[in-house]
Amino acid sequence: MNKKIIPLFIVLIFCLCFCKKNKNTEPEEIKNPFDKQGMLQNMADNVILPNYTAFSISLDSLIFSYNTFKTTTSSNDFQIVKQQLHSAYLKYQQISLYEFGPAEQCAVRMNFNVFPTDSVQIKTNISLGIYDLLMASNLDAKGFPALDYLFYDLNKTEAQIIQSFSTSANKKQYVSDILTEMQTKINSIISTWNSSYKNQFVNSLSTDVGSSIGFLINQLNFELDYLKNAKIGIPLGKKTLDIALPEKCEAYYGTQSLEYALATLTTVENTYLGKSLNGNDGKGFDDYLDHLNVSYGSGTLNAAIKNQFNNVRTKLNAVNGVLSSQIINNPALVNSAYIELVKLLVLLKTDMPSNLGVVITYQDGDGD
Amino acid sequence: MTAIDKLLKYIKQPVSIAPLVIFRITFGALLFISTLRFLLKGWVHQFYVLPKMYFPYYGFEWVKPLSENTMYLLFFILLFCALLVITGLFYRVAIALFFLIFTYVELIDKTNYLNHYYFVSIVCFILLFIPAHLSFSLDIKWRKKMEIEKISRFYILLIQGQLFLVYFFAGIAKINYDWLINAQPLKMWLPAFSHFYIIGNYLEQDWVAYLFCWFGCIYDLSIGFFLFNKKTVGIAYVFVLIFHLATALFFNIGMFPYVMIVITVIFFKEETHILILQKLKTVFRYSMPRNSTNTLDLKPLLIAIFSVYFIMQLIMPFRYLLYDGKLFWTEQGYRFSWRVMLMEKAGTAFFYVKDSKTNKEIEVDNKKYLTYMQEKQMSTQPDMMVDYAKFLKKEFSEKGFLNPTVRAQSFVTLNGSGSKEFINDTIDLSLESNSFLKNKTWIKDFN
Repeated sequence: MNKKIIPLFIVLIFCLCFCKKNKNTEPEEIKNPFDKQGMLQNMADNVILPNYTAFSISLDSLIFSYNTFKTTTSSNDFQIVKQQLHSAYLKYQQISLYEFGPAEQCAVRMNFNVFPTDSVQIKTNISLGIYDLLMASNLDAKGFPALDYLFYDLNKTEAQIIQSFSTSANKKQYVSDILTEMQTKINSIISTWNSSYKNQFVNSLSTDVGSSIGFLINQLNFELDYLKNAKIGIPLGKKTLDIALPEKCEAYYGTQSLEYALATLTTVENTYLGKSLNGNDGKGFDDYLDHLNVSYGSGTLNAAIKNQFNNVRTKLNAVNGVLSSQIINNPALVNSAYIELVKLLVLLKTDMPSNLGVVITYQDGDGD
Repeated sequence: MTAIDKLLKYIKQPVSIAPLVIFRITFGALLFISTLRFLLKGWVHQFYVLPKMYFPYYGFEWVKPLSENTMYLLFFILLFCALLVITGLFYRVAIALFFLIFTYVELIDKTNYLNHYYFVSIVCFILLFIPAHLSFSLDIKWRKKMEIEKISRFYILLIQGQLFLVYFFAGIAKINYDWLINAQPLKMWLPAFSHFYIIGNYLEQDWVAYLFCWFGCIYDLSIGFFLFNKKTVGIAYVFVLIFHLATALFFNIGMFPYVMIVITVIFFKEETHILILQKLKTVFRYSMPRNSTNTLDLKPLLIAIFSVYFIMQLIMPFRYLLYDGKLFWTEQGYRFSWRVMLMEKAGTAFFYVKDSKTNKEIEVDNKKYLTYMQEKQMSTQPDMMVDYAKFLKKEFSEKGFLNPTVRAQSFVTLNGSGSKEFINDTIDLSLESNSFLKNKTWIKDFN
């Protein structure tokens, strides 16, 4: 008897299952799956590569103006170099996020922007005139933070800084070497992207570790975490019992920290949106989430994320001024930007990948 | 005859030892392959050398990793033991050693908990009591053990019973609102594969997620019965293949699908096993004198041991009823219950350590102390948060913090619920404990 009841029970459940299925198919119109390849194509063609190119052009002009300054050492040319440096550092914020593929091979963040910079090491390198910028010990004695220090030395007047260049061939060379290293690296990254990596990037359609979508989401979060911690949190004293550390700000000497922080935020947002330099909003994660009808609270997750980008921007703008002084004079203001950053991080790091089924580990899983 | 007498007669009935020999060889091969895979992936270093702290299991806090060289040595011993199990040389010692070392390694850090590791551990434990080396083995050929042909059905039932429970409980676990009514988490997982050839076009459709969920649930609940039934075992095995190959295609679950595909062969008819064994013996030119009437006695003690064992196995998955709150949210009593691929849970946790002297706090950089996987698992599992908080308290005391307190802010999303506050962010987590049965009242309600 018992033997017959079990199969009967199972058939019954199967019937239920198919009723369920039919109910669901009727009202639903068949829509095409999300065009992941289209999104990656947009990221590569309209977001990542144009930003690389813009940075590379800006770096070339910096090098050009610096070469002029090297021969004239005029105050006028010095101003131009500083402007170009600022512009290149700002454009660097638009490419720092894409540290995968060729950029990962070149370890862009480690080689271009380790701050605070080691001024003692820089001075030693210059005075000895013998150094290898590729050595790990020089990671914090090169890149933009080193240039920031060399062009905006707070202990010297501008005339003294210019003077120090005109009297020191070693210093002139040191800056040239830093610039050349960055130029070599960025050229190699762009050429690898164009020759082979782009094809690989747009054709990797899974969401596993090592897939393009996996890379983008990982790096999106890495960059945001970097903004929250390295650019804001650490200077604010989040790791040091509220003791502010202004000298740990990015671009501490040139005092453009806040502008760069905002630029980083914009890069994270534009990557999320799939938005190009000229403002065209192509396929991005916002479209992906909306396509899948991902909800959050009473609205959509995409709306929540966009709204949170705005909240962070508002609070960062409210800091208004030089970040390294504001963390001391107005820590509450900086802290409220920090709090909004934490909320944005949760949405991008927890909600977005979870809803997109992105796997971010090589380890076997059990599904939790 | 009473029912118990009937049952005893049934389990004591002599049957061919062939299924157990095939099982010994195939399971041994699986042990060998998965251990080798573990080594080649660099996981020994990543899981048992790299971490600065480990998350022990409740009651096993004394289990600590050994030095890097010793850990590697243990894995090589595992490989060697697997070979011994396959060939049936010093079988009892080999399987006992494998069980002890493997279980020890798994107990070091619950970050790496997987149902299938637990499964391997308990199958090794069961094999300890099964004389699967008494036919077609080097123990017979070289160590003068007596080749036997028949054995009590009891031994085969042990493995079949355990497998049945795995499937059945996995099925029961799927009978929940999210799985059956919302088709979650598959509704979130499947669209990620929309680029698959042809089938990809359907993976964003809701009905496909429902189909997968319901099929999975019915499969798990019923497959054990169909495998046990001699008339349906053939077709059931086709379903086993379809089901596990599909899960292997979609999910990142390592060896598990292959383990199940290989060991459900134990349900095949006796004649099939005898035939395979006969073929193997011919290939390896293996022929030993045997006493065909020689059947091992089934000791009452063994029946008693496994009665207790199976009762415990039946209770384990239900222990969550002793705790308050939604099981998937609190995870109190979640492990060791065959809950596989059941939920999509993700979180971000921020830990703060306060110095009592200055009354100021710092935000901890979790990456400094935890591996990626540890941080990921800890962020959604309350018992791991307690372990981590205790670790941080010690760490910061040593750094000179006066009487540090540790609190955490954690945001978790479960099956697409949207991230929400997971725990009370004002309590000192380092003062909490992971005692058995004590509810973690500091976990916030899911709703």
